[in-house]
Amino acid sequence: MFKLRLIAIGLLWIFIAAYAGAQTSTVELPAGPMQSKARTGCAVCHDAHILVQQRLSKAAWGKEVDKMIKWGAPVSPSDRDALVEYFSNNFPPDKPPYIAQRSAPNKR
Amino acid sequence: MKSRREFLKHFSLVASSGVFSRPLLSWASSAAEQGAPAIAGEDRMIVRSLRFLDLEMPPEFADSWLTPVPHFYVRNHMIEPAKIIAAEWTLSIGGQVEKPVTLKIGDLSRLEQHSVINTLECAGNGRGFQNPKVPGIQWQRGAVGNARFSGPRLADVLQRTGVKPSGKHVMFRGLDQIPGNVPPFVRSIPIEKALDPDTLVATHMNGEPLTHHHGSPARALVPGWVGAASCKWLTEIKILENEFEGNFMKPGYRYPNHAVAPGGTVDPNDTHPLTGLSVKSIIAGPSDGSKLKTGSIQIHGAAWAGEAEVVKVEVSTDSGQTWNPARLGNEHQHYAWRLWSYRWTPPGSNEYVILSRATDSKGRVQPATADWNPSGYLYNAVDRVNVHVQA
Repeated sequence: MFKLRLIAIGLLWIFIAAYAGAQTSTVELPAGPMQSKARTGCAVCHDAHILVQQRLSKAAWGKEVDKMIKWGAPVSPSDRDALVEYFSNNFPPDKPPYIAQRSAPNKR
Repeated sequence: MKSRREFLKHFSLVASSGVFSRPLLSWASSAAEQGAPAIAGEDRMIVRSLRFLDLEMPPEFADSWLTPVPHFYVRNHMIEPAKIIAAEWTLSIGGQVEKPVTLKIGDLSRLEQHSVINTLECAGNGRGFQNPKVPGIQWQRGAVGNARFSGPRLADVLQRTGVKPSGKHVMFRGLDQIPGNVPPFVRSIPIEKALDPDTLVATHMNGEPLTHHHGSPARALVPGWVGAASCKWLTEIKILENEFEGNFMKPGYRYPNHAVAPGGTVDPNDTHPLTGLSVKSIIAGPSDGSKLKTGSIQIHGAAWAGEAEVVKVEVSTDSGQTWNPARLGNEHQHYAWRLWSYRWTPPGSNEYVILSRATDSKGRVQPATADWNPSGYLYNAVDRVNVHVQA
């Protein structure tokens, strides 16, 4: 029973990751050892856009990650520090601003 | 606190309810090839987030008195509800009332209809310009729009229930789908503002029924106040004795009582809830970074001031050394933005910094530098574009 539940949870996360991938085909999180865990940790609520536009110190990233874990983001406690490290290395305050995409013209 | 399993169960329910399968965001293959997501009902919007959906109006669209709905910014705090069938929708009103009622869409349309042209602006508009940077959607100029909102007055809706003397605050709950342990997007406004004759339960925007992204079939419309007050997909109104206590009232959407040094921290108890908008102007054209020919150039944009009136917009074409009065557009209403324009003939080929600065009826003037605060709210520094003029 427990095994079945684990399989179901695993399948669910694969679904979430696939869904996230489908919606972020033009904006992707940077490669790195935590890329996949960042994606699944955030994908329930967010696609990559909201992440790649942030420019925050490590302390500020820590605060955000902790808030999201409190709100239900599936991040294992053992991954928390590495995730904060991944975000603060990739999106520090001195990185040039992110240039946002525009949506397609409405042909109506 | 919910367990991980309950959270997953909740998520799987959300997933199976069709939220993710319905074509909220359809990816036209041609658009995807060009890297531009196609979003139903939206036209060339700046994509701040696809999930949750948060879209910004490009500044060049701040050139019309009424912002077309496909250009009107979208701010969602949660997952949008599955499409709501207006005929099945209900609005319950309870709490400190004489007689709780549940209304249907027909009950709203039978009440006297009222229209308000209102500039709606997200409290975080301009957050992307804050220095040092703060977390959140990095909006620049365009989390703002001006539209005609119509529907019954909230005061008339509340007459159906009566409000007990103990009722001092009005809470709005929307149908947003709440993921995980995220606190619900529920906020309240004081009873005085709720009973203002221009505060609406809006069902229409620019003469058409509200679209799904804008809160169909009904939303609160709290004119002159930060956008977060105007709850979308409204399903419950509750009259409270005290201000609603929840994440989006505290610590969310609060402003420091005292000036904060950039990068500093604020005691949450030394803050107040955000209400009215600041005085602000933005430049719609020319666009930042544009290359222009010498000759006559029209500098134009929009200015607004929440519950106050814009009385003056000035333009500088020399980095703020001198200021010239802009011409204000003929169309104006209490809560609406004012279009403005200034005709400029550059003295020659050069790089120029163009600034705009609004003043309102309360004597507030757009500052050279906005007050920094940890959430990046109410950014309203003078707007600025750089242009290159060549013969």
